[in-house]
Amino acid sequence: MIKFENVTKKFPLGNLALDEVSFDVEDKEFIFLVGPSGAGKTTILKLIMRESVPSEGTILVDDFDITSNEFTQVEILRRKIGMIFQDFKILFDKNIYENIALSLKVIGLPDDQINDQVEEALELVGLSKKTYDFPIQLSAGEIQRVAIARAIVGDRDIILADEPTGNLDPKTTWEIMRIFKKLEKNKTILFATHNTDIVNSFQKRVLVLKQGRLTKDQRKGGYDI
Amino acid sequence: MNEILTSIRRTPYQSLAAFLILFFTLFLSTAMFISLSFLYGLLGYVETRPQVTVYFQTNIPQNEIFKIRDKLTNSDKVESIKYVSKEEAYKIYKELNKDNPLLLEMVTSDILPASLEIFAKKPEYLPELADFLKKEPGVDEVNFQKDILDRLLVLTDILRKTTIVFFGFLIFLAVLVLTTTTLFKIALKKEEIELLKLLGASNFYIKKPFLLEAFLFGTTAAVGSFVIILGILFSLKPFFDSYLKDITQLNLPLYFTQLTVWPVNLTFLSIAFLLSLVFGIGIAFLATLLATQKYLKI
Repeated sequence: MIKFENVTKKFPLGNLALDEVSFDVEDKEFIFLVGPSGAGKTTILKLIMRESVPSEGTILVDDFDITSNEFTQVEILRRKIGMIFQDFKILFDKNIYENIALSLKVIGLPDDQINDQVEEALELVGLSKKTYDFPIQLSAGEIQRVAIARAIVGDRDIILADEPTGNLDPKTTWEIMRIFKKLEKNKTILFATHNTDIVNSFQKRVLVLKQGRLTKDQRKGGYDI
Repeated sequence: MNEILTSIRRTPYQSLAAFLILFFTLFLSTAMFISLSFLYGLLGYVETRPQVTVYFQTNIPQNEIFKIRDKLTNSDKVESIKYVSKEEAYKIYKELNKDNPLLLEMVTSDILPASLEIFAKKPEYLPELADFLKKEPGVDEVNFQKDILDRLLVLTDILRKTTIVFFGFLIFLAVLVLTTTTLFKIALKKEEIELLKLLGASNFYIKKPFLLEAFLFGTTAAVGSFVIILGILFSLKPFFDSYLKDITQLNLPLYFTQLTVWPVNLTFLSIAFLLSLVFGIGIAFLATLLATQKYLKI
């Protein structure tokens, strides 16, 4: 469960990234975060990851009040979350297996469990035959699939996707979305995007942001801005 | 291990600089430790020799010599006194010149002087004792080893102070170079470190490869420098053997025991190596922790 209560985020120069935003996300819920550039989508994801802290308000993630000054379990929080980025953030000097295994090594899993989980994730994203290829040998769509595999391994219950299809062509975009379709039953997903077609076709809950304010919270909504 | 070797391969010049600075620091510090141990051992040895020897005129009666001995004993400045009679002096003379019959024929016990070998409680008392003895009747000659002791004390003191200053400088230099090279490596792995943080890696997990690399550098530099020191030590052994031929053993007081530094032995070498190893790994760890603490901000 994720809960935002009157969350405001001001940047050091005073510009407002989020203005009193409140919403709840239930477990295993799929939510689109939509809005123009600078609306505050990425800020929300960064606040959940505790890459930054809000200026005001409270954020709860499962049992953690991550805005509390006493909150020190950032590592534990981040091990619950898988993050997918528009620019992939894949390590080009490591092969596909190593890139995905990194997500499991940091939580201290033994090698045999790492092998099993990486194989399972590669199967899910359809890259089983490219386990030991290097990112340079893959297409952009395939690299994003590696990033998705990395985000879902290790029993990470929450997936934060920051415009994961932003750099992909339409065909590859739909391939990626098919993977998200498979994931939606088992994970809580917050998906930030500009893509109207994706939002409209999925018919999931939509949070619309404009200039840092939450202007619409629509169940089974579309992208009508 | 593979990760560490890859890191070294990717930054060969920085790794070489880090290794060489550690190597030279350990080489010089181990060489200084061994030299200082020898000098302190030598100092201890000289301090156990008779510090003032007073020779009496041959005609002075034994009871007069004993009166002087008693005065010295009551002065509270003397640790012990050994009386060497004319007969004992002759025995020593005979032993020293047993291979030279001509010298033995020329000398009898009558012409050899009786003497007192005096051990002072502190080296500072030596001039005072010598002055006192020179004024006593029947004294022929007073020899004392103040000059040798003084020179050794000065030499040891200079070496000790130089070592401290040099040590400080070397440690500073080594930490500076190692911190800089670690920072360079951190900069190269910036993306990976940021990703690891987002994936929930602990601080120790991120620092671990840098610390392991420091451990590897510290260990190899300690082993490498010690092997060279051993080579030098054993190549100079014939020189030391002839130079220290009359000295069977040099010891260094070490808490409740005595550490033998000469002849060179396994215990002394093991201690020198262990110190070098701990010192090397310690410096490398310190520099790595400084770099990761300050610039990873984790």
